[in-house]
Amino acid sequence: MKAYDEKEIAKDLKIDAHAVGIPEGAAEVFIERTIKDAKKTLKNRSIITENDLKHAILKELKKYHADLAYVYENHDKII
Amino acid sequence: MLIMGSLQLTPGVFALFYHYSLGQFSKAKTSYLSLFFILGAEIVTTCLYLSIFYLTCIFFFDNLHPETSILFWAIAGILIALGIVSFFFYYRRGTGTKLFIPRKYAEALDLSAKSAKTRSDAFMLGALAGTCELFFTLPLYIVTCIEIMRMGSEGFASNLLTVIYILTPVIPLFFIRWKFQSGLNLADIQKSRVHDKIFTRFILAFSYILIAILIICFRTVY
Repeated sequence: MKAYDEKEIAKDLKIDAHAVGIPEGAAEVFIERTIKDAKKTLKNRSIITENDLKHAILKELKKYHADLAYVYENHDKII
Repeated sequence: MLIMGSLQLTPGVFALFYHYSLGQFSKAKTSYLSLFFILGAEIVTTCLYLSIFYLTCIFFFDNLHPETSILFWAIAGILIALGIVSFFFYYRRGTGTKLFIPRKYAEALDLSAKSAKTRSDAFMLGALAGTCELFFTLPLYIVTCIEIMRMGSEGFASNLLTVIYILTPVIPLFFIRWKFQSGLNLADIQKSRVHDKIFTRFILAFSYILIAILIICFRTVY
């Protein structure tokens, strides 16, 4: 089981955001908000799986940038 | 050539590599590194092709009797099996374009694509991706080598065919590179790959089975 690492997720999202052409400042703001809101959504759960976390982040990302959300969703489905 | 240009593992790894590289470096550096990935894929294709050509010459040159040889039946059988496999199992079930390779290897390739930062990393990743496709390319190499050997390896046509055959697998990589350079991102490229998924499966299966039928017809009729 992998430990949840907020910094690692933020770092990966920043790489994806930069690659899809989102300016650095904007990316930092909405990645921070995304993680904060995802944490809020999952606050009441006693067990959080990797899938739950991914879904929560994805739901928040879709509000900000469709392409970034698509890349995040399909990362493990490319090869 | 159609099959070599339709295989999806190297283009998939290349798209991931370009995406990660674009996320960490400038466009110019990514573009430069991507050339080394393509070079790696190209060199491994060339080496594999030439090794198989050499082995084919050693083992089959003197005792190649297509009319009676069981080798051609074996190759035709393998190609038919690959046609069926490529139609049903080349992509895994579900959304996206998850390929046939074991998930651990896919994760390792993804991780390597993410951590490739230098020219040598890019080169090795390209070479590795090219090698991982060997399951689908090896019978094709053997068929092509035998045919080119029968054409006479010193003729202009056979040399031209060899060069074209070796260059074909990297054409999709240049196409993806051009797509990234013209402003598209991984999401756009992946959407088009998903859109073409059924077509790719059909082309692969059709081509493998067609080659097998041609082998059977031309070896048994005459």
